Amino acid sequence: MTQAGVIGFCRFLRANGFSAGVTESLASAEVVRAVPPEDRDAVRWGLRAALSSSKEEWDSFDRLFDAFWNKLPQEQRRMQTKVTTEPRGFWALTGEPSDTARPSDREANRIAGASVYARLKKADFSEIPQSDQPALDQLAQRLLKQMSWRLSRRRKAAGLRGRVDLRRTIRANISRGGDPIQLRYKERRPQQARVVILLDVSGSMSLYSMFLLRFAHALHRHIARADTFIFSTRLVNIGGMLRSRKLAEAMKALAACPADWSGGTRIGGSLQELNARHARLLSRDTVFLILSDGWDTGDPGTLAAELRRIKDRVRKVVWLNPLLGLEDYQPLTRGMAAALPHVDVFAPAHSLESLLALEKHLRW
Amino acid sequence: MRDIEAVVRGFEASGYVLDRALATAVYLLIRLGKPLLIEGHAGVGKTEVGKVLASFLGVELIRLQCYEGLDVNSAVYEWNYQKQLLAIKIHEKTDEETIFSSGFLLERPLLRAIRATDNSPVLLIDEIDRADEAFEAFLLELLSDFQITIPELGTIRARHRPHVILTSNRTRELSDALKRRCLYHWIDYPVFEKELEIVRLRAPGVDRELGAQTVGFVQEVRNLNLAKPPGVAETLDCVHSLRALGKTRLDAEAAEATLGCVAKSVDDSAKIRAEGIDRILARAAR
Repeated sequence: MTQAGVIGFCRFLRANGFSAGVTESLASAEVVRAVPPEDRDAVRWGLRAALSSSKEEWDSFDRLFDAFWNKLPQEQRRMQTKVTTEPRGFWALTGEPSDTARPSDREANRIAGASVYARLKKADFSEIPQSDQPALDQLAQRLLKQMSWRLSRRRKAAGLRGRVDLRRTIRANISRGGDPIQLRYKERRPQQARVVILLDVSGSMSLYSMFLLRFAHALHRHIARADTFIFSTRLVNIGGMLRSRKLAEAMKALAACPADWSGGTRIGGSLQELNARHARLLSRDTVFLILSDGWDTGDPGTLAAELRRIKDRVRKVVWLNPLLGLEDYQPLTRGMAAALPHVDVFAPAHSLESLLALEKHLRW
Repeated sequence: MRDIEAVVRGFEASGYVLDRALATAVYLLIRLGKPLLIEGHAGVGKTEVGKVLASFLGVELIRLQCYEGLDVNSAVYEWNYQKQLLAIKIHEKTDEETIFSSGFLLERPLLRAIRATDNSPVLLIDEIDRADEAFEAFLLELLSDFQITIPELGTIRARHRPHVILTSNRTRELSDALKRRCLYHWIDYPVFEKELEIVRLRAPGVDRELGAQTVGFVQEVRNLNLAKPPGVAETLDCVHSLRALGKTRLDAEAAEATLGCVAKSVDDSAKIRAEGIDRILARAAR
């Protein structure tokens, strides 16, 4: 009964976006055995430690815990003790949650949404034309060839050798009495480029967002160190959804992804979040791609300052603006004007052709 | 014998104010032998948990500081090449077995934690988010089996499973697989009373009023959205500095003099001054 309750709780958490899997379920069963069952707080905190794995989950845990292990008044619980034969306090009392305590699916979603995320809006992905798929895949293939194994090629060109590998040198020279006659070298491991993509999915970009997402997905399939974020008013890491999933599945996952699809834009704030939380992704071998039209409702000063910080860290900042494809477009919006001094490459991204042209900017 | 209360008291005796939620996590770390991943802002005492745990349990603390490019040679083991070369020189007929024996092995933190002979040490893996993914993957293997394979020597299995604490500043997401192996705890900035309690414990002899003023001031500064918000460590720095300067209360002048303890960049200092130190102090006093 106790175990069933815990397992039910794990399932309830999963339905609310927790990543807790079987390992966590087992761990939580151990937790329940390890802490004094009458200490409700210890049970709560123990389960929280075992079942959450990020700040977001940590923050919403308490609410979900209360929602599941109902808040029956003390008297009512005592009534239940009489009918149950197991004398094990809290768990025995609430081992199997009552129907009234189990929130309906809709309510559960509301709990998660209200706790962590801003307004949640599901966008329909069904209207994306399928005809561009092969070309997009081909593009990804070509990008892969261009971008990967950069270091290995450079090494060959410069004729550099890696560091001496002492371990293998000694091994190789034991038969010569240990004198390091024949040196062994450590190969410099060919390193792939890193790509960080920031996709604007605010209202003004909605015509392009879906197409650009497909592009990001194609990049993810071939570049191991790619990370993609979507942003409008807040930043959401979607790298995990794009990686190792078929396009259709990824799109489905994205549709369910809590983001402010087609809402307003806070580019500066989103870049700030990127700098604050994901700075490690921005290294000297990173190409930073931002796809946005530069309509920013935030402070252009923040946008400029944060973009400068990014530029200081990465190899190249590429700003793709779909509006650049228009004949008479001038980057005059406040946000765009503030950002331009810190952009290495300013390019259009309104068609597959313009995305193909992107290739030369990802090469160095 | 050890229950959650004992953990709270033990940590307090070492000068660490521990709320019961974290105490529960630490208790489970000891009971279940699972690694504990602690995340939180800079300067809230994540690393300290590991240190205090070691002194609480009366065992050795083995610390591995992570950084980008951390590799097996500096985290796990390395052969002592100089010694090997010397050995080859001195004994003409040295064979491989001799120079690849444990006498020629330099233990790095992870191997040391595995080879502990007396009891389970505390292994503190600090700022795991700074290490690269490859190292994280290696760690994964270590944390599930608690064994290390050295090709020349064979597999070394832990006689006593170390108590593992990992800390992360959240500069990047850790892999799901790693998080799955760990218990998780998020340390937030402490509330006023708790932070005051920390000041009392860590800076004994400081006037209570001065402590309260400083804590209030720093807590207000945290709301200013600085690039590097001050943590508890900064509060303590500030209190110590004020005492060194012979101040008995925190006025605008004293706050200005010790601003370097609280703000760690030009931009942040400017932001605090723009907000007005007087005004922040007034808000804190309320």
